[in-house]
Amino acid sequence: MKHVERTAAAVKTNGGLGPLRVLSASGQLGYGLPAAALSQGFARRPHLVGADMGSVDPGPGYLGSGTMGPSPEGAKADLAAVLRGARALDIPMLIGSAGTGGARPHLEATAGMLRAIAHEQGLHFRLATIAADLPRETVLKAVRAGRVRPLGGMPELSETEVRQANVIVGQMGTEAFQRALAAGADVILAGRACDTAIFAALPGLIGYPMGPLMHMAKIVECASLCCVPGGRDAMLATLDGDGFVLESMNPARAATPLSVAAHSLYEQDNPFEVFEPEGCLRVDAARYEALDARRARVSGATWTPARQLTLKIEGTTRLGERCLLLCATADPRVIANLDSILPAVERNVQGMLPADLGAYSLHVRRYGIDGVLDWPTPPKAPPREVFLLLEFVAPSMAAAKTVAAMTKQYLLHHGFPGRLSTGGNLAFPLTPPEVEAGTAYRFNIYHVMDVAELPPLFPVSLEDL
Amino acid sequence: MKLADLATVVRSKNAGPATLSFDLMFASEAGYVRALASPALGVVALARLYGVEPQRVRVHPYPPAHAIKIAINRKLIAGTPGDRDVYGAQQHGPLLEIEL
Repeated sequence: MKHVERTAAAVKTNGGLGPLRVLSASGQLGYGLPAAALSQGFARRPHLVGADMGSVDPGPGYLGSGTMGPSPEGAKADLAAVLRGARALDIPMLIGSAGTGGARPHLEATAGMLRAIAHEQGLHFRLATIAADLPRETVLKAVRAGRVRPLGGMPELSETEVRQANVIVGQMGTEAFQRALAAGADVILAGRACDTAIFAALPGLIGYPMGPLMHMAKIVECASLCCVPGGRDAMLATLDGDGFVLESMNPARAATPLSVAAHSLYEQDNPFEVFEPEGCLRVDAARYEALDARRARVSGATWTPARQLTLKIEGTTRLGERCLLLCATADPRVIANLDSILPAVERNVQGMLPADLGAYSLHVRRYGIDGVLDWPTPPKAPPREVFLLLEFVAPSMAAAKTVAAMTKQYLLHHGFPGRLSTGGNLAFPLTPPEVEAGTAYRFNIYHVMDVAELPPLFPVSLEDL
Repeated sequence: MKLADLATVVRSKNAGPATLSFDLMFASEAGYVRALASPALGVVALARLYGVEPQRVRVHPYPPAHAIKIAINRKLIAGTPGDRDVYGAQQHGPLLEIEL
């Protein structure tokens, strides 16, 4: 509890709440921290430092496989830079969504880095780790009781999908970080977590009003992205009684009323509201004022506590092993006939595959035509070159390569009416042309689940290093 | 007038793996008001532009930043085999071409 008590004593004035400084070190810890801004941030003597480390943005591969987005060296270097600053000031350090995916393998790998840094640099602190993995049975019960709802384009969650998930995590809220602070943690490493919770937990325990507090947390979790020009430098937020001031720790970046207001749009479905496990933040009454050319003050956001606690839950299922075929064509007749060539080759290959190969899927991207999206109208002139990326997913890598190799041969030599280039339809940039691309996963859970109580789902483990 | 000639930002990005979100920002309130009034930025026209049913499309005016937010439920969840844009950061192309 020492950090809560000490910070409360430092910020409480006669009957009010004085300035509380929150330093956001990074919106994506592990990819390199601009050192000058981080150092400037610590020089401002923040009361806490936080950083988000994970996301669903990079796709299901990381959560599914238990691997990290950044390299181990990059992740450890960033953790060490923040840890040294936090220990020098003896302030709490809070990290959310450990190791990209925030499931147990990510949490363990990241905790191992913190232990190694402590050992190597002679640092001593109480480390709290908070797991975010959800028991399958908990989710199954909620599905049966009709207490799970889909988000965006997800279908309703079925019991079958829950059983097929190889990992399920829930996004913990401020409550979990607050339990770790109450247990005397100096460093909190959380599995999958709401990015707001990292920055809101300590000020929330001291009594700063939740509306501006959660609004501040939502903005600073992206570090200096809310500035013009936006960037990855450390960001300082100073809470006062009913608002907060934003300032980038890089003097070249300015937090202006417009740039900060515009940040509410970023990666949100609805810019006016943010749903958290314990309530809903609404920013429609927020006011944005310029303090000077590069500092903005924000106030007026409101917080409505939830009548029903909810969790965002995320899970993946393994689909098989993936192999890619990379090739291109510069022949106008091949390009003009791709609509018929590709399905014809696929039919040929299907007729020749070993019967015991198992089910596979093939997905073709035609770069130059519709490799990125389905355009509403065709281009004015056909492209001169088209790149083809063929993705094969099969039960084993051997099976995926079998289909890829056979498809390559028949695509290269496929005959079609009007063909002139009988030497081959394709250019291959690589040899061999098939590339192993690891295990394929998909998000089969991205839903909201009603829960009765949060603490049993996010257990805190303590260790003194 | 083309949207690309009036807007200062036209961008796309996932809002979670199941939703594509688009931000249109304008330098002035006048530009924002003009764009907001255009049927080309209505739910029906946007659904046609992106080949989805209108129930999958939401449009939120956001006056504090002279901005319009569009959200579309994804047909294919981000990162599923066959997905062409895991981050959803290159789905704004069709918007650049529309006439207001």
